[in-house]
Amino acid sequence: MFGKLLKYDFRSMWKQFAFIWPAALALALVNHFTVNGLGSSSGAEETAAGISMLVYVAILMAMFIVALVFTIQRFYKGLLGDEGYLMHTLPVRPWQLIGAKLLCAVITTVLSVIVAVASILVIMPWDREMLGELFRGLEYVFTHWNNQATQGVIGILEFCLMMMVFFAAGYLQLYLSMSIGHLFSKNRVAFSVIAFIAVNAVVSGLMSWFLSPVLDILSDLINNMNGMAGFHAAMWAAMAGELVLCAVYFAGTEFILRKKLNLE
Amino acid sequence: MHDTLVACTALTKRYGSKTALSGVNLELGRGRIVGLLGPNGSGKTTLIKILTGLLQPTEGAVLVDGQGVGPYTKSVISYLPDRMYFADWMKATDLFDLFSDFYRDFDRTRAMSMCASLGVTPSDRLKSMSKGTKEKVQLVLVMARRAQLYLLDEPIAGVDPAARDFILNTILTNYNEEGTVLISTHLISDIEKVLDEVIFLKEGQITLHDTVDSIREREGKSVDALFREVFRAHNVEGGAF
Repeated sequence: MFGKLLKYDFRSMWKQFAFIWPAALALALVNHFTVNGLGSSSGAEETAAGISMLVYVAILMAMFIVALVFTIQRFYKGLLGDEGYLMHTLPVRPWQLIGAKLLCAVITTVLSVIVAVASILVIMPWDREMLGELFRGLEYVFTHWNNQATQGVIGILEFCLMMMVFFAAGYLQLYLSMSIGHLFSKNRVAFSVIAFIAVNAVVSGLMSWFLSPVLDILSDLINNMNGMAGFHAAMWAAMAGELVLCAVYFAGTEFILRKKLNLE
Repeated sequence: MHDTLVACTALTKRYGSKTALSGVNLELGRGRIVGLLGPNGSGKTTLIKILTGLLQPTEGAVLVDGQGVGPYTKSVISYLPDRMYFADWMKATDLFDLFSDFYRDFDRTRAMSMCASLGVTPSDRLKSMSKGTKEKVQLVLVMARRAQLYLLDEPIAGVDPAARDFILNTILTNYNEEGTVLISTHLISDIEKVLDEVIFLKEGQITLHDTVDSIREREGKSVDALFREVFRAHNVEGGAF
């Protein structure tokens, strides 16, 4: 059933992003030619190149704003609005509904980041020499395991994973705030915003009062490790911390949807 | 399969200081068409929402086919809420896909033939459909299932008398005869002829639960006349389908 829920969440995601992702890549391609062809260009061409770069940057920003709005809307309208009458009467459990929304939101964000990175790569002035260097570098990493370059690649992957967990925690915090707002019979959006601010305050309060001694010990330990080992440890420690927050936010949201649901 | 399809025991629902349902005890068997009758605010929608799992009771217990409300009971209940629950980007066929995926008892062929007889084009985007057409799509989704329990919340409120007959006819010709249909309404005269049983709900309490035949025999009047007598003091203006 979880897979089926995901299927419908992905379908709504695709409806939203079917235009903006290809548009970002297409604009990057336009900028590849305008930016790299500027060597002996006239003032008018420079202005056109500047405008096309502005449009490209604007669409990248819009892509991430749409991803955030999409995440909030799919949860609020899909589970706490009128669509909730359909979703909550499907033969599934509330954790599956929340999990499918979350996974879809995180994957949407990851795909948006991939599109953004890919679009930057498209803009770069690729020539034979650059491509050769890239492939030699990749070959070196894959043929010389356990050296610093490989550790660097693993570090980048750890950082990407940590960012995914970080986004998941952020989205779950939004879900929890909207669910808390839903507990009120009136002004639910306003109470959701207040709940978001309150949850933020509570989490940062807890961090500074209770967790700072733990963090001090942890950072001492990490500082005493040599270069990359310290980086790996820091990444995994940050991930563990965010995962604890994810679990708390998820449990709170699930409890409200299971026990306190009260659609208008 | 339990003989008793629905069993509510001492069911109470409070919203803050307001009591919507108070100590409701109810048993429903199979193969019946039951009218859940009461004026606005009497607790009809609250009772139906508790049966669907959209609301949790404050006190008491509910069993559907012998099980507490959860994925199993949701799989055997077909629910028509008193509002639209579609995402705008969908077509009716997308909803048929969704229902086929989640409900084993959804009969897609029946849904398509119901669309044809109701004049609905299922490949149209819901956004472009009129309110009346959307209501028909929702009715098709609900009645194309071979469910054990149909919960229809005010299906005929807010539509003209011709459309009422049309909706009732669709329900009667399509429901699973081994299942039970619970229809909430305050428009008794339109629906009385199709009911086997009625439940009168007044201020969150069941004041009467009997078969239509025995009410007529005992009281010497129609259910509609009895309803008007019992609820005379109440305003029975309609909600929306």
